[in-house]
Amino acid sequence: MGKLKEKNAPIRTSIVMKLDNVTFRFPEDDKPILQDVSFVIHQGERVVITGQSGSGKSTLLYLINRLYPANCDGILSGEITLWDRQHEDYLPGEVNARIATVFQDPDAQFCMPTVEEEMAFTLENLNVPGIEMEKRITEALEATELTHLRHTVIQTLSGGMKQRVATACAVLMQPEVLLLDEPLSHLDPFTAREYVTWLDELQTKYGWTVVAVEHRLDHWGDFFNRRLQFVGGFVEHSDAVVVPPIVFNKRKSTLTTETVFEAQGISVEVNGKSLLEDVSFKLKSGEIAVLAGPNGSGKSTLFKAICGILPLAKGCIETGRTYPGYVPQSPEHLFVTQRVEDEVLFSKEAVPELVGDMMRRLRLDDIADSHPFAISHGQKRRTAIAAMLTEKRPVLLLDEPTSGQDEAALHELHRLVHTRAAEGLAVLIVTHDMSFAASVADTVFLLKEGQLTGQFLAEDVWQNESLLLAHSLLPPSGGILYGTS
Amino acid sequence: MLKSWKLKEVVLMSVFSVVFAVVYLLFVHVGNIWSGFIGPIAYEWIFGIWFIVSIICMYIIRKPGAAVLSETITAAIEVMIGNAVGPRLILSGLIQGLGAEAAFAATGYKRFNWWVLVLAGIGSAVFSFAYGFFVSGYAALSPSYLALMLGLRVMSGAIIAGFGGKWVSDGLLATGTLRGYAISLEKRATSIG
Amino acid sequence: MVLHEQLHEMNPAMKFLVVVVSMLTLAWFFNPWTPALFFVGVVLFQFVCSLINWKLWLLLMIPFVITAFGYLWTTVLFAAEAGGTVIWTWKQFEVTDAQWTRALSLAFRVIAFSSISLLFALTTKPVTFVISLMQQFRLSPKLAYGIMVGYQFLPVVKEEFIQIRHAHRLRGVGVEKWWWQRIYGMRRLLIPLLAAAVRKAERAAFAMEARAFTGKPRTTFFKPVPVRIHDWILVFIFVMLLVISGLSGVLFMNN
Repeated sequence: MGKLKEKNAPIRTSIVMKLDNVTFRFPEDDKPILQDVSFVIHQGERVVITGQSGSGKSTLLYLINRLYPANCDGILSGEITLWDRQHEDYLPGEVNARIATVFQDPDAQFCMPTVEEEMAFTLENLNVPGIEMEKRITEALEATELTHLRHTVIQTLSGGMKQRVATACAVLMQPEVLLLDEPLSHLDPFTAREYVTWLDELQTKYGWTVVAVEHRLDHWGDFFNRRLQFVGGFVEHSDAVVVPPIVFNKRKSTLTTETVFEAQGISVEVNGKSLLEDVSFKLKSGEIAVLAGPNGSGKSTLFKAICGILPLAKGCIETGRTYPGYVPQSPEHLFVTQRVEDEVLFSKEAVPELVGDMMRRLRLDDIADSHPFAISHGQKRRTAIAAMLTEKRPVLLLDEPTSGQDEAALHELHRLVHTRAAEGLAVLIVTHDMSFAASVADTVFLLKEGQLTGQFLAEDVWQNESLLLAHSLLPPSGGILYGTS
Repeated sequence: MLKSWKLKEVVLMSVFSVVFAVVYLLFVHVGNIWSGFIGPIAYEWIFGIWFIVSIICMYIIRKPGAAVLSETITAAIEVMIGNAVGPRLILSGLIQGLGAEAAFAATGYKRFNWWVLVLAGIGSAVFSFAYGFFVSGYAALSPSYLALMLGLRVMSGAIIAGFGGKWVSDGLLATGTLRGYAISLEKRATSIG
Repeated sequence: MVLHEQLHEMNPAMKFLVVVVSMLTLAWFFNPWTPALFFVGVVLFQFVCSLINWKLWLLLMIPFVITAFGYLWTTVLFAAEAGGTVIWTWKQFEVTDAQWTRALSLAFRVIAFSSISLLFALTTKPVTFVISLMQQFRLSPKLAYGIMVGYQFLPVVKEEFIQIRHAHRLRGVGVEKWWWQRIYGMRRLLIPLLAAAVRKAERAAFAMEARAFTGKPRTTFFKPVPVRIHDWILVFIFVMLLVISGLSGVLFMNN
């Protein structure tokens, strides 16, 4: 639905792509997702297309690399010119040999087990002669500093490394244009920042034209030099590529003195491997605490242990009448029914009279009849929280609720946890996003290699940059602390 | 045959196969070796589990070949994962898939009601039984015992694969994730009238 | 080339063909000698020409032996009319020598099939197998790489399965006791897994196409899987094994 208004198109170098009144509709829908989109991108530019989720930015990207319209039988009008030719004049695969793409989901962009096999797959697609392949793979691995991963199984790598492997496959193709489809959305801020620095060097070296779609710009620094912004259905051209950090209102603490949860010296072992060792902490009614630490430090294990999913090897938990409620990173993993309201009513503990009130407080009454899988991510999380609250859970555990969320969703999350805490709940959040953490937390727990390295008052942590870096965390971006309540 | 197939449809069949392989491995099969003592009849009642992939894939994708291909892919993935039954799984997968495919082909790939799916489940059961008759030498068994085996297998194919396949697919359709596949487009066509 | 590597190095597509042909041939024999001899031959062959973990082999054979036992008593108890002299009676129940021979032959058939299947499973690399099918048998790349995607998703799907079961445990489902409850409860597990599978499948397919994969037959391979003279020799050995066990089985029976 974006009408792109091109303001002072920069005439620097040759034109790489040109869109003229592009309108696109999915066959399932009545209304087009893109309407009259026009813009021009020049050789060597670094352009970012921003907008809220569902605004059609990914669709636009898939039109450029010709995954659409064929893959969804979509209805396209208008003209897309790539270099000197019309979009539809290219043979299948021909565009993709010149335009490489890195996608957002690190788990789902490979088809072969190891890095080398994946790279060989890429070169075979391009019909590169056998003898040249070895040379090109070695070069690409060296250029991307990934030589040590050559024979590694991709699915054993971290998300950040997977994104680098995907980028290395792009390097291997020697493309002219690099498309990026929210490549940071599954990465934590620390890893994201490292990836951007790394990509910046590669772009400078190869001189690709970069076109990215992104819902958050704060991790990109000054990487881009032009921005196309989807605002309220229209698309504006803007040079404001360095965005100020998101400013949350600093909440007023609702912390009380009543302890609702206590873990004493808990340890967890899975298959003989110790994942958690001697962890003790307390949570009070109305408290919001943040649990942070590097990937694999045992955060999810701790969550599962304290809500009774994983058995304790040692130690004990005091938590009143029920275990804490747990909202996983994918809230739909909790869902067991076909309707949102049934989901909230599912528990044996549910008191039907209270459910109506719960549905209203979590703004679920409008979608009571919807399928819990077919609603937005934010709605899924609210449904999961409502289900946990009807079970009268005294503590709410949220696993990575900030991951992949845009600014509006983060503000909503902020309000949501604050309101729950004000109602007397204790909330414990796993997040890597220290900017968000700084705006909500009363307490911060840092975890490393299965051990709690410390419990801090929130204000004390943010200045301690070396402590944060030791846990692979970035200090909160400036400005947040000075927000007012 | 593969020309008209989108890559995402082929990959869908393959990832579905993995899902069923995992569910079977970690959920159904646990502690089941001892039923081997009971003889070939032990698995008959649960045989439909093997056919369900082909019915779900055909019901979603609705292209000629969906049943045969999905069942064969499932078998190939089982072999890759290291199923000790090995290469002959691929052959039996192919034959089971043909059984289901026959039912859909007979209706010209135009109908996907519950009874066609049940028929496909029965088709798989009959084809796989004929294959087992040859390869496992069922000829040595008495006709009444064979009739019991076939009866159980057909029941299992009809209920677990036919009804079960529809039940699971309809549940999946309701989640809204199947946008862009034939099953969603048809739903839209009927809702518009 | 070392003898102990022969079966591991054998062209996987040809190995596959040999295994399938052996099975289909064995299916025509109803004497116990043929499958028994074939089994011994396969084990010897594997002993000489491969380096496998025999402990694992034994472990994997256990369920097949149990199944073979199941076949044995089923085929004795529910035997078809086969003529021959009665060798064993119990009340009104009679077993003839012909029936017993057939039962034994089916039980040995299970064992023979298992040995050749294990030979394949324990000496073949999954990825090379699919690539070989593509190179030797012209398997469509669309199918071949489609299968490969599924294979490499295995750990991801397993992890997701565990996560979903954990989440369900929190809500008090997934602890069903009876098999029919488990079958019914499977849908709850399947729907989130399948929904995630649909998303992953589309993303993976897009990633492949974005890397210029078109599904057309490939002209070049990074690692060609060749058919060498060794492969033909191995095929010949398998065929001889089949012929010898087939013929001697029939001869023994007619004595």
